[in-house]
Amino acid sequence: MNAIEIIGLCKNFTGKRMTKIEALKGLNLEVARGEVFGFLGPNGAGKSTTIKLLMGLLKPTTGLSRIMGVESSQTLSRTNVGFLPENPAFYDYLSAEEYIKFVGSQFGMEANLLATRTEEVLKRMDLWEARKRHMRGYSKGMVQRVGLAQTLVHDPDVYVLDEPMSGLDPIGRALVKDIILDLKKQGKCVFFSTHITDDVEKVCDRVGVINNGQLLVVDSVTNILQRGIEGYSVLTISPEGVQEENYVGKDELQFFIQRSLQNNQSIEKIESRSKDMEAFFLEIVAR
Amino acid sequence: MITIIGITLKGIFRDRVFQGIIALSVLFLFIPSAASLSMRQVTELSITLSLSLISFILLLLSVFLGATSLWRDMERRYTFSVLSLPIGRSSYLLGRFMGLTLFLILTSTFLGVLACVMIKVSSSIYPSDRPIVWSLLVLTLLFTTLKYILLVGVALLLSTVSTSFFLPIFGTICAFLASGVTQQVYEFVYSPSAEKLVSPLIKMLVTALYYFLPNLSGFDLKVNAIYGIPANFTGLGVTVAYFVAYTAILLGGAAILFNRREMK
Ligand SMILES: Nc1ncnc2c1ncn2[C@@H]1O[C@H](COP(=O)(O)OP(=O)(O)OP(=O)(O)O)[C@@H](O)[C@H]1O
Ligand SMILES: [Mg+2]
Repeated sequence: MNAIEIIGLCKNFTGKRMTKIEALKGLNLEVARGEVFGFLGPNGAGKSTTIKLLMGLLKPTTGLSRIMGVESSQTLSRTNVGFLPENPAFYDYLSAEEYIKFVGSQFGMEANLLATRTEEVLKRMDLWEARKRHMRGYSKGMVQRVGLAQTLVHDPDVYVLDEPMSGLDPIGRALVKDIILDLKKQGKCVFFSTHITDDVEKVCDRVGVINNGQLLVVDSVTNILQRGIEGYSVLTISPEGVQEENYVGKDELQFFIQRSLQNNQSIEKIESRSKDMEAFFLEIVAR
Repeated sequence: MITIIGITLKGIFRDRVFQGIIALSVLFLFIPSAASLSMRQVTELSITLSLSLISFILLLLSVFLGATSLWRDMERRYTFSVLSLPIGRSSYLLGRFMGLTLFLILTSTFLGVLACVMIKVSSSIYPSDRPIVWSLLVLTLLFTTLKYILLVGVALLLSTVSTSFFLPIFGTICAFLASGVTQQVYEFVYSPSAEKLVSPLIKMLVTALYYFLPNLSGFDLKVNAIYGIPANFTGLGVTVAYFVAYTAILLGGAAILFNRREMK
């Protein structure tokens, strides 16, 4: 069973003067258990719409989605999920600690376990000092941290995160990457949206690129990076000890190595020169 | 759902609007002196004033809290974080309703005790020839509370369809104002004197509205409390049944609409 299944999902909104806005046009996607999936797309691509449909906040025009085999329209589908909304907002008259405990209790956590887990996640998100203050007085990044803490507290198997890094400082962003990698190690499924390609490159197993409500590519990160190789930079040293850096085309590497050896040049270092995820992303979206 | 009730209560107690409205209860302290101005019937007047003040405070609370609680959840986007938890929307709505109901009961108990103390004070300074029937006073308070609980149901129903606070707040106020007169209008339309004045179409319209709008006239026992007139228990039974049925319909409708509502 896949952790997340999206089958032929369409969503239309009615805009001003009854105009139809097609936010999603027949999305199909499967994310396996234990997989970290990056959902990449420019602004207005339909990422948040997909996620809201998945969490049952919106109703699909046609198609359906499932989490752990249960359809999103059912409350039961959300029992094993940690969800972080885009620019989250939480009851601002509660403190972070009260809110985390509230969330844990909704997942039926037992009180002692909840207390220890709450302490753990608040400390991990660096909110321990502020835990008794009402969230009304929190900064944007602190609220985002509460958002992440509340996805972690009940230790679900599936995580759905809408732009988890947004609003965070570099330390916070590094922390989120660490957390996602940690979750991957524990065999959890993480589905997150972002427009920062670098995040995807570092933590994801697979990436999907969405634009104008259509999924354009789904592929593994290694494949994409492999395909992107354009050439190599080869450092050679001549018998006289002169170092030289050479740029070699993708198909010329073998030939270059043979020639270097014939010329008694020793090869010190070969590095691949590849287009990164960013270039890949820009190319796909521009198509 | 219990936790939603708890959250609702916490939210109200930490809210400024609530604190402001509760500050109105300071007015109770003036009741004995205000009532004494009448020279005669001081006790009766102090009962009238107390009950009216309680009614007014409960009206404000039920309209504002009832209309803004769901609306604010959606407006401030709390719904994204809360309704994506494994809570059914109906339970969420019901939790909100129960929380508000519990709060109204607590408030009316608190204000009721305050009122009783003030009435006692007034009547001890200017003793009345008619004894105060405390049980009737309590009964009146009970039915006043029920009335405003029903009004909270109206406010919640309206806020499940509305995207602004305008409709729930003004809609609830209108429903409240209408509820006071539907009985009279209905009786007038069907009275012999209106036979020639009212067209059958209007008659039908009034009848439809009469059954559609809440009818809160039965909840008003003020006169009984003030003059110590024994209550009509069959009438009260009908009123309670009406309360249960009407509130259940309101909540059922609200749950259906809230379940279909999209969180954009
Ligand atoms: N409530 C709504 N009413 C009308 N149109 C909407 C609504 N919500 C989203 N849309 C439209 O649907 C499309 C997709 O929006 P969505 O929020 O899913 O984008 P996104 O990929 O999350 O973008 P971002 O990176 O900016 O968060 C956009 O064209 C947007 O205008
Ligand atoms: Mg978005």
